[in-house]
Amino acid sequence: MDDDVTQILQAIDDGDPQAASRLLPLVYDELRRLAARKMSQESPGHTLQPTALVHEAFLRLIGNEVADQAAEQWDSRGHFFAAAAEAMRRILIENARRRKSVKRGGNLAKNELQDGDALLDPDDQDTLLALDEALTRLAALDDDLARLVQLRYFTGLTIDQTAKVLNVSPRTAKRNWAYARAWLRREMEDTE
Amino acid sequence: MHESSEQSIFLEALDLESAEARAGYLDKACAGNAKLRASVEKLLGAHVLPENPLDHPVAILAPDSTQDLSETLQLNRPIVEGPGTLIGPYRLMEQIGEGGFGLVFVAEQQRPVRRKVALKVIKPGMDSRDVIARFEAERQALAMMDHPNIARAFDAGTTATGRPYFVMELVRGVPITEFCDQHELSLRQRLEIFTTVCRAVQHAHQKGVVHRDIKPSNVLVTLHDETPVPKIIDFGVAKAIGQSLTDKTIYTRFTAMIGTPLYMSPEQAEMSGLDIDTRSDIYSLGVLLYELLTGSTPFEREQFNSVGLDEVRRIIREVDPPKPSTRLTTVAAALSTRSATRVRNPQQLSSAVRGDLDWIVMKALEKDRGRRYASASELADDVRRFLAEQPIEARPPSQLYQLSKFARRNKAALVTVSLIAAAMILGTAVSLWQASVAFGERNDKDAALQKALRLQQEADAAREEIAQFATTMKEANVLVTSGRAHVDGQRWAAAYADFTEAIKRQPNYYNAWTERASLEVKLGLWDLAARDFSQAIELGVPEDNPANWAIPQLFLLTGDTDTYREYCTALLQQAEQRGERPSMSLIRSCVLASDPVGDPEQLAEQAVEFLAEMDDEHAQESQRPPRFAPWDRSGPPVGGPLERTDGRPPQFRDPGRPRDGGPPRPDEFRRMRIPRGVILYTTAIAMYRAERYDEAVASLKEALTDDRWRNMQPVYPALAMAYHRLGDADQAREAFERSQQEIDALTQSMEQGPVGSMPIPWFDWIECQLLHREASILLTGFAPADDPRLREIQQRGRRQIEAGDASF
Repeated sequence: MDDDVTQILQAIDDGDPQAASRLLPLVYDELRRLAARKMSQESPGHTLQPTALVHEAFLRLIGNEVADQAAEQWDSRGHFFAAAAEAMRRILIENARRRKSVKRGGNLAKNELQDGDALLDPDDQDTLLALDEALTRLAALDDDLARLVQLRYFTGLTIDQTAKVLNVSPRTAKRNWAYARAWLRREMEDTE
Repeated sequence: MHESSEQSIFLEALDLESAEARAGYLDKACAGNAKLRASVEKLLGAHVLPENPLDHPVAILAPDSTQDLSETLQLNRPIVEGPGTLIGPYRLMEQIGEGGFGLVFVAEQQRPVRRKVALKVIKPGMDSRDVIARFEAERQALAMMDHPNIARAFDAGTTATGRPYFVMELVRGVPITEFCDQHELSLRQRLEIFTTVCRAVQHAHQKGVVHRDIKPSNVLVTLHDETPVPKIIDFGVAKAIGQSLTDKTIYTRFTAMIGTPLYMSPEQAEMSGLDIDTRSDIYSLGVLLYELLTGSTPFEREQFNSVGLDEVRRIIREVDPPKPSTRLTTVAAALSTRSATRVRNPQQLSSAVRGDLDWIVMKALEKDRGRRYASASELADDVRRFLAEQPIEARPPSQLYQLSKFARRNKAALVTVSLIAAAMILGTAVSLWQASVAFGERNDKDAALQKALRLQQEADAAREEIAQFATTMKEANVLVTSGRAHVDGQRWAAAYADFTEAIKRQPNYYNAWTERASLEVKLGLWDLAARDFSQAIELGVPEDNPANWAIPQLFLLTGDTDTYREYCTALLQQAEQRGERPSMSLIRSCVLASDPVGDPEQLAEQAVEFLAEMDDEHAQESQRPPRFAPWDRSGPPVGGPLERTDGRPPQFRDPGRPRDGGPPRPDEFRRMRIPRGVILYTTAIAMYRAERYDEAVASLKEALTDDRWRNMQPVYPALAMAYHRLGDADQAREAFERSQQEIDALTQSMEQGPVGSMPIPWFDWIECQLLHREASILLTGFAPADDPRLREIQQRGRRQIEAGDASF
């Protein structure tokens, strides 16, 4: 099994269909580690931007020199972002589900409240979960649209960057975004 | 394509600015298709709705929403100041603790004396000068404390990074509760240590020092020549940190800093801040005693975990916790392994604690501090009196008070009475005590039982009520039996109505819950089933009942991974405590999650052992005719599973009930032979989790050759994953496609069959879905799309039970 991200990206570029699935776990692990470290360093009230996380993960996994070369090559970088978006989504959804099951309580769900834990008003994860479900339905309908949303929402890419990653024109990306955005909203309103 | 035209119409309309132009365009574009028109209009409406969550990339707020995320990510907080750092005259050595306020290190003091001390660095978020100033203000008082059971406070200051720190006598001990558990101290020994702690607190109080944060991690116990010596640490720290936090402006910071509220007195929870005195420490001592006796705090962690801060404060101020003896009687039923290790024999302990110790603890825990013990030594004296078997000072509340409380608990009492009566009427060999344990009201059960027995002896009037409630119990039983008959006749609505009514009449009767859950499972209503099963588990349904197999997988499917893990872990530990190998079904449950419970390597070995034993037995018994398990359909196999689902769906007989009229006895199940394929499949999943992919593939392939086992659909997704891990993309894809076909075929069969027809046992079906989902994510990077047919099947099931709801 090949564990080097640069080589996996190369393999994807070379058309190896299995390479993409090897990329995801690596990116996923790196993002988890990174997010955990970042969070522990931040002061209360500070927000972590997924964009920054993803970029840092990229630098760490690719290595600086290669990253410099690849900086403008959105082709290979694109696969990375696609994987990162998926990984971010999973991490946040896992977290949201977990929190929901904590809130639902149930005497079985024994979540250790450590002495060191802060007491926090549970914030609302429902929106995220609803969006996730709607996004899954969108993917069933049109995978490209779902990928677009995932890139924008979970890694914070701009329309132009997203267009490069997905290899479409910025105009198409913009129009697809308008449609997907409205579609998801309609879906979420309907299910509520 | 409907959707793509919807998209183009929507975008086209969006380009038109005026409402008229849009309407005109839509009239034309959607001519004759009202449905399309409505959906586009909805889209246009959604387009302009404010606050679309998609307009901002998801952001992660620190630390509020990340508090949990960091748990999810399973990482600890960073060490800010680390070993080697020099703070004033102290050089940090190893870190020995981490609390709500900061990190604790062993440090070496260089001057004026060379010694080792404990140095506590406070986490960021407070004004260091304030903290140090308050510590200095109390320093005089702290210096005057000289007690063998109090750790001395030496110094305070600010680190180079601006964080306050405290220097204290180094105590190398373990928290008092842990110590008592580790050494399995008896009730008497626990109480003796506790009185020592009380005396130390009394000493501090006499010097004018209130601790404000007494909890197990601040009461450390060390062994000196085989004698346990408790030492209270952190005197002066909580006060120095605490006062600045009462200001409303730093309310949020307070929530981040507060640490555990489990030991906090009502007046502290009030957060008025000015009003904390020695009696708050008495309350915390009460909590500590409670925990030493029962293994849990008066309010349980999860109770606080699931609600907001204001609700926690309200609970602390207003809610009466159950008496220790009451808590102990529920410990036995609870799945909490933590309590189970702490309290070795809860029922025996419960009777020792009931009465005097209950009243001592409850007096220390009074909400109104004027009603608590006036001093720590009074509390210690009462515990001493109890140990010396002398009358204690704490008294149960007055008769009037009791009467009013009883009125509130009346319902519980009457239920208990009914159970007693039912037990007598049914003439079972079950003792009253067991009946109450089995069905009992969780918190008030014991009190209620006591009251109920007294009632029974004293008042003839109670008899009528007994009879009446015995009737209810009998009715519930009849309803459950009738419900089962309806299930067998596939009259789902009637069955559901019967079970629901039985639950309504006798909510503590776990059979009613499991029966309803089994029905919900049949109808594919996973969420409802998971809820009912967890209720049954809470009521103490025996874990080894075969009807309860695969419940963990159900929790997994409904996304409740915490319950899944909790339940599997508890069952594994139970098996270990009994010195038994986990059952095959338990192994299967444990390894089904992508993040398995337990050690997959070990589970795989245990499955292999099981298989070997089974093969041995089989060799010996080969002359005898085999005894078929319910999932073995009699008769010769007709083709593979895929072919079989074509045409009419085969009837599936619930494995929980091989004969008519109730679940099988456990021994019946043990005799029934599990198909070899099932064992191979379970072993393979465990192998897969242990990353032994070659062996996993081999076992899965062998499983497919077992013609006694028909429900081998879950083998395919597992095979796909194992091949994938081995890098065999073609075989992986092939298996994955087969898995997809099997699921399609099963879905189709369910969709076309009558409601409640599941062509394979529900747990196999659940595992199909779980493993297929995992395989899909592994192979394609995406979860499989939702199948609208499955939603429709669920809705059909739901309509069935809704029809049942309406019928009464």
